[in-house]
Amino acid sequence: MANSVTFEQRKPVDFAIIGSGAAGGIIAKELSTAGFNVVVFEQGPYRRAEDFTHDEYSVVFNSELLGGGPEVSGQTFRHDEDEVATSPPVPPIGYAQTVGGSSVHFSANFWRFRESDFKERSMLGSISGTNFADWPLTYDEIEPYYTRVEWEIGVSGAPGPFDSFRSKPFPMPPLPVKSSGVLLEKGAKKLGLHAQAQPHAILSQPLNGRAACIKCGHCMFFGCEVGAKSSTLAAMIPLAEASGHCEIRDRSAVFRIETDAAGRASEVLYYDKDGKEQAQMAKAVIVSANGAETSRLLLLSASERHPDGLANSSGFVGRNLMFNAHSAVDGVFEHPLNDYKSVQVSKVIHDFYETDEARGFYGGGGIDARPLWSATPILHAILGMPHDVPGWGAEWKAEIAHNFTRQMTLASATTSLAMDRNNITLDPNNTDQWGRPAIRATYRDHDDDLAIARFLSERSQELMDAAGATKYWAHEIKPSDNGVHLLGTARMGDNPATSVIDRYHRSHDVPNLFICDGSSFVTSGRGQPTMTIMALAFRAAEHIAAAAKANKI
Amino acid sequence: MDNDSEISRRRFLTSTGTLTAASLLRIGAPTLAAITQTACTAREEAAAFVTLNADEAADFTAIAARLIPTTDTPGATEAGVIYFYDRAWGDELSGFLGPVREFLQAINGELGMSFAASSEAEQDNVLKANENDPRFELLRITTIFGFLAMAKYGGNKGHLSWELLGFDGHHGAWEAPFGYYDAEYSKEQQNGE
Repeated sequence: MANSVTFEQRKPVDFAIIGSGAAGGIIAKELSTAGFNVVVFEQGPYRRAEDFTHDEYSVVFNSELLGGGPEVSGQTFRHDEDEVATSPPVPPIGYAQTVGGSSVHFSANFWRFRESDFKERSMLGSISGTNFADWPLTYDEIEPYYTRVEWEIGVSGAPGPFDSFRSKPFPMPPLPVKSSGVLLEKGAKKLGLHAQAQPHAILSQPLNGRAACIKCGHCMFFGCEVGAKSSTLAAMIPLAEASGHCEIRDRSAVFRIETDAAGRASEVLYYDKDGKEQAQMAKAVIVSANGAETSRLLLLSASERHPDGLANSSGFVGRNLMFNAHSAVDGVFEHPLNDYKSVQVSKVIHDFYETDEARGFYGGGGIDARPLWSATPILHAILGMPHDVPGWGAEWKAEIAHNFTRQMTLASATTSLAMDRNNITLDPNNTDQWGRPAIRATYRDHDDDLAIARFLSERSQELMDAAGATKYWAHEIKPSDNGVHLLGTARMGDNPATSVIDRYHRSHDVPNLFICDGSSFVTSGRGQPTMTIMALAFRAAEHIAAAAKANKI
Repeated sequence: MDNDSEISRRRFLTSTGTLTAASLLRIGAPTLAAITQTACTAREEAAAFVTLNADEAADFTAIAARLIPTTDTPGATEAGVIYFYDRAWGDELSGFLGPVREFLQAINGELGMSFAASSEAEQDNVLKANENDPRFELLRITTIFGFLAMAKYGGNKGHLSWELLGFDGHHGAWEAPFGYYDAEYSKEQQNGE
């Protein structure tokens, strides 16, 4: 299988790639199979499919895949910059620390962006107080890479009525419709809306030697034990290792990118599994550590030549953080849905995707039907109960027993606007377990972000009614205090004064430093970012490989 | 319950996550496996308690039985939640032990006698009067964990809580139809409706 290879630390490898997740895993595979020697740094351990379990207590409540909570990471959060950020009990910034990154534990909802997503600023005009902008690329330019993701990573689905064009059909049909999808469709029909099949980065049929989904129902927060979820762990890393040109250096936490006298990235400094400082020389460095870790690492790599952090002459590193806002409406039905079986979502409504100026605010999103916290028993018992039911006793027990199989949630995933005030900085007081200054998030949703979430919550309540729920209740829309979509913090753009990387992911300031992950986003899409992160990664790798071959790095 | 209760539930849910994360990280996986094996044996053989003394165990057993009572269906008692308490509070939830002990002392003080010796009505009243106490929430969350977590952690004997919910958690793989509505839908599709 894997041709394991170990590269010397004092001999520059072609590429040091920091992060093995949605972007890093793809770039590693693309560059190593093209013959370049790469070392991939992952701070978490190298878990394989057989290491994943259905143990809700450990995975969901003991942060098994997250590497521990804020006590370990030191992460802090505040809404506004005049507050002192504090360390809350749950990670304000959530991501998996494991080879394959968050593509291992995500729910794998997998929408393409639309043509409009890349040019909303031109379509809608400016929005004051924000850094709302067009992307420096169009849907036409990214479309071939969406197609590559679908066929090479493995995406199941069927085209929807509002999708932008596709050059090739989905490689496999959608996963089977669930009771929650049937109910959403029923409600949608009554209201004149359109429920479409949900695309997933989960195989409905075998692909490239990988097994199809067994509908075990443990997608959200869990790793897939059969490799049907199209994480980079399942789909890319094995190919990268088989090339004989890729070393996965797990349990290696990078704390600094060193630059040489010419101002070029030359070396990656990291803590190994024993916490000992190590260094790897590299001809070029690619940062794909996620929107929060990427920002922290660039800020930590400040030097005389780069006093505000590496690649940060614009001051845009860490800024424009976007989480994607959400809403959730829970409902109970007469008969069992058994929605704990199979993937989270089977149908989604995209009628409200586009901004409608008649609503009076920017934003749009999708509404899907899923078990959410009724996918597993403990989550259901703690978070899934209606507000009017006591939290213990006979009535509570009867309620969890009755509702577990009969409950679903209509969840919306929506937009966030890019703003200076929402950002990642280095916490001045806290450190993580390796001694690195902790990630500090400052975040307060734009009023329009909350308005669209509220709007979609109202539509979800109408849908619950139309679908025939015997009871439903909405979760309050309030400013976000945590995020798992980590977008916008090293945005791409043509102007070095207002962006960190160019349209091909090369940093404006350091010619042999590339950045590709959620941080590259200019706008937030509608809440399912991983498909676009992966498409960007295929595209970035193609340009980086071409530049390296032409000796232009 | 009102919205405040919803918020406090979330708050304590999350504080639990942190405490357990920190302590589980210190324990290697093989050690954890050994611990859970011991807990299961304790439950099956109704062995002596390790973390709790006999009086505490009697009181906490009685508290668990009010939080998740035995009705026409099994509750915390039948699930052996007390064995989860005893194991987890000595281990990954050791941060809870001090607070829940203090809480027990406080409510026993209010009752003027041990919780276990009180009537069910008195038990419910004292718990209700203290349900906004953060220490009560630690107790409630531990009880939910003990009732619904995998049986290997010491509670959920015979997976009876999963059966209560209709969660076939050991099965592991399914084919459509999954529930009533998709089964009906697929019949309609086949009939060309």
